[in-house]
Amino acid sequence: MSFLPVVLALLAGAYLVAVLEGWVSTGRFRPAGPILSGLALLGQESLVPRTPDRIFFEAGPVLLLTSALLASAVLPLGPGVVIVDLATGALFVNAALVYVMVALVMSGWGPDAAYAMVGGFRFLGQLVGYSMPIVMVIAAVAMRAESLATTEVVESQAALWNALYQPVGFVVFMAAAMALCFLPPFDLPTAPGELAGGVVAEYTGWRLAVLRLARAVLVVTVAAAVTVFFLGGWHGPVLPPWAWSAVKTLAVAAGMLAAGRYVPRVREEHLLAWWWKLGIPLALLNIFVVGIMLVTVGG
Amino acid sequence: MISGPREARPSWLRRLVARAAARELAAFVVPGPEVARARGIDPGAAGLAIADTPRHASVLVVVGELPEGLRRAAAVAYAQMPRPRAVFAVGAENVSPLPGPDVSAALGQEDLEEGVVRLREMFAEGAFHPNAPEFDVPAIRSRTGYVCPMHPEVVREEPGQCPRCGMDLVPREAAAGEHGEGDGERDHEEAPSGEHGHAEHGAHDDMDHGGMGFMSMVEMTRDLPRSSDGLQMEWVEVPFGPLFPGLPAGLALTFTLDGDTVAEAEAERGIEGWAPLEGLSGPAETFADRLSGLDPLSPVAYRLLASRALENAAGVAPDERTGLARVGALERERAASHLNWLAGFGRLLGYSWLEERAGELQLALLWSAGPEEVARLAGEAGELARRVEWTPLLRRRLGGIGTLPAGAEASGPVARAGGSAADARRDEEAYRRLGFEPVVLRGNDALSRLRVRLAEIEQSLDLVSRAGSVSTPVVAPGGGSSGTGAATVETPRGLATLNLILEGGAVVAFEIGTPSARHLKLVKPVSEQREVADALVGIASLDLSPWEVVR
Repeated sequence: MSFLPVVLALLAGAYLVAVLEGWVSTGRFRPAGPILSGLALLGQESLVPRTPDRIFFEAGPVLLLTSALLASAVLPLGPGVVIVDLATGALFVNAALVYVMVALVMSGWGPDAAYAMVGGFRFLGQLVGYSMPIVMVIAAVAMRAESLATTEVVESQAALWNALYQPVGFVVFMAAAMALCFLPPFDLPTAPGELAGGVVAEYTGWRLAVLRLARAVLVVTVAAAVTVFFLGGWHGPVLPPWAWSAVKTLAVAAGMLAAGRYVPRVREEHLLAWWWKLGIPLALLNIFVVGIMLVTVGG
Repeated sequence: MISGPREARPSWLRRLVARAAARELAAFVVPGPEVARARGIDPGAAGLAIADTPRHASVLVVVGELPEGLRRAAAVAYAQMPRPRAVFAVGAENVSPLPGPDVSAALGQEDLEEGVVRLREMFAEGAFHPNAPEFDVPAIRSRTGYVCPMHPEVVREEPGQCPRCGMDLVPREAAAGEHGEGDGERDHEEAPSGEHGHAEHGAHDDMDHGGMGFMSMVEMTRDLPRSSDGLQMEWVEVPFGPLFPGLPAGLALTFTLDGDTVAEAEAERGIEGWAPLEGLSGPAETFADRLSGLDPLSPVAYRLLASRALENAAGVAPDERTGLARVGALERERAASHLNWLAGFGRLLGYSWLEERAGELQLALLWSAGPEEVARLAGEAGELARRVEWTPLLRRRLGGIGTLPAGAEASGPVARAGGSAADARRDEEAYRRLGFEPVVLRGNDALSRLRVRLAEIEQSLDLVSRAGSVSTPVVAPGGGSSGTGAATVETPRGLATLNLILEGGAVVAFEIGTPSARHLKLVKPVSEQREVADALVGIASLDLSPWEVVR
């Protein structure tokens, strides 16, 4: 069974992502930072606002973590190193990650606070933007692999990565991945300067620790999905397969974390306009071009 | 009681957690990071992570003396912080109604760093102290408010009738909690997160249980106020400030949110509790000191304003060298003030590179020794300006945001970004000799205001190098003189005017006009009917300083 190695790898990845995030945001490299801040949060009071929707408030962070963990179950770390090799794996990733939106809307509604609520509903709008292009891009990836199984998708890239075979899809998928992880410049639901933390503003103590862990796991999962769908998964010379998966996943995560530092947050109306007027046509174009290439040149 | 507080050596796990808490201090800075930077201290460099909300902070850092209104707001923020928590007073004596500071330090980077070391020791030893005192703020309890059952946007502090339908107002807490289950189930019950801005989303319970068999949108929204786009939504009144991360510290706005659109914005009743102006009259020798203490964001400009008015009253004229030195001091402050604004603007926009870089440059400029160092910083500021200009997505983010209606009364960079060459510096001899020409752009939006300030940073630093001095000379008028004096100064935010009456060497009466007092009226036009983020960007682009809004 590859359950244990994959979960351990995921947690190790989440830890490294937390280190990276601290490095990117404070400029200080502190390998022990996440342990310390986790311990500090566990020692802190975990407050509940006065009139919460208790079920939503408690369930939001847990659902976020669950959603990311579920998606990671179908992502292979190496040949055969996958928790479940579903025949519909590529679709399952997307289905599991839709609950990110549900989790954020719940965390936004739960505390009965205005900033959090605005943040939660902003993410609902964000999902309306990025979710269509994500599915369309995955469709083009599956077309080339002639399968929805994630292991088949990786095998289909043995000769040429999808990032090179369908670069348009790669770019759209990367942007959608960042929107899905609500990383800057798509951090509309948390927006530190605009909403003082938004959906995370009312969480403290261990509940905040769960939220931060969930977010780190989400970033690793989504980066792993980018690796599987576009960067040839475990394929690579010299190093063992799991090491290639790890290196690529971390590189993607680092890129996603660093990119947002150099651009301002996107406006909500632009976000929707761009995804619908640019993202969806590009994703459709990608399907069309990949179709033509499959017919003429072959996979 | 079976168990009670008892002094004992805590378990290893508790000690470990306490030591971790001591290493991971997050600070909620009051009044705000921009005031800390303007006073020349950098909590980030001292090892305190800056938190956006008191919920995520363990240390409340009070920077400088605060007016009473802000101290009350700070107490509300402190009450919302999870324990273990501490108050760290930096250059502040009076922090009431906050509990007495756990650690105090003088205003200065080294003192701040020493204070952080002491804070860490305190957290490592006392994070789980069994006798940690409770702290409660009456303001939170009384913030309940009364709402109309039919018009959730009608919120009053006193019971009464709804002005729209005449129904009796009900307590908001009751309205929201009527359908809630068992109050006793809530552990760690805390504040409804009032002043910091976490308003409650009113009467949704009433709507879900309104006796309608089916949740008909038409029925539910029938009596709700009409918004401009025709979509019916609940309106909620949400406080933004006075300690909101994306706004100047001290600016207390109330937005009536229609979804995420600002239906109404209320700014003018929000600024209260500032130091009374009466205390500023008195001996002429120290008048400039007192006036410069008015606004921590531009002390030099107000010192200069006072000096000029006093000289005018006494009939003294400064010599040419003094005039040049003043240009140097004022322009250095202008550049630093614009950089400080830029850092805060970067924070609002989520553009972290800009926030850090502009903050660094601002502090370097504030700490700079003389014109040579300023000239070096001018190069770096130019580099910054060019990078900002080339930032992807920035133009789209700012273009068309915060446009002012025709005939709006503005001055300073806000006016100059709207095509007006209004600038008091054009009439000043010292500036004319340096060949000064104001930076004027068209656009009248947040983007052009950003560009004007970027250009002015470079221009001001250039003027400093040419003026050759950055010291602030004060000319004290001859003792015992009398007369009336008037003066104007182009502060970093716009035109400030001062009229005073001098009698026997003492200021007996004065009248002051400041740019932020005028610009406060622009908050409404730049924010109403805008999405929250756009409204905040529009307001931030005005660069208001609540400190200079005097009554």
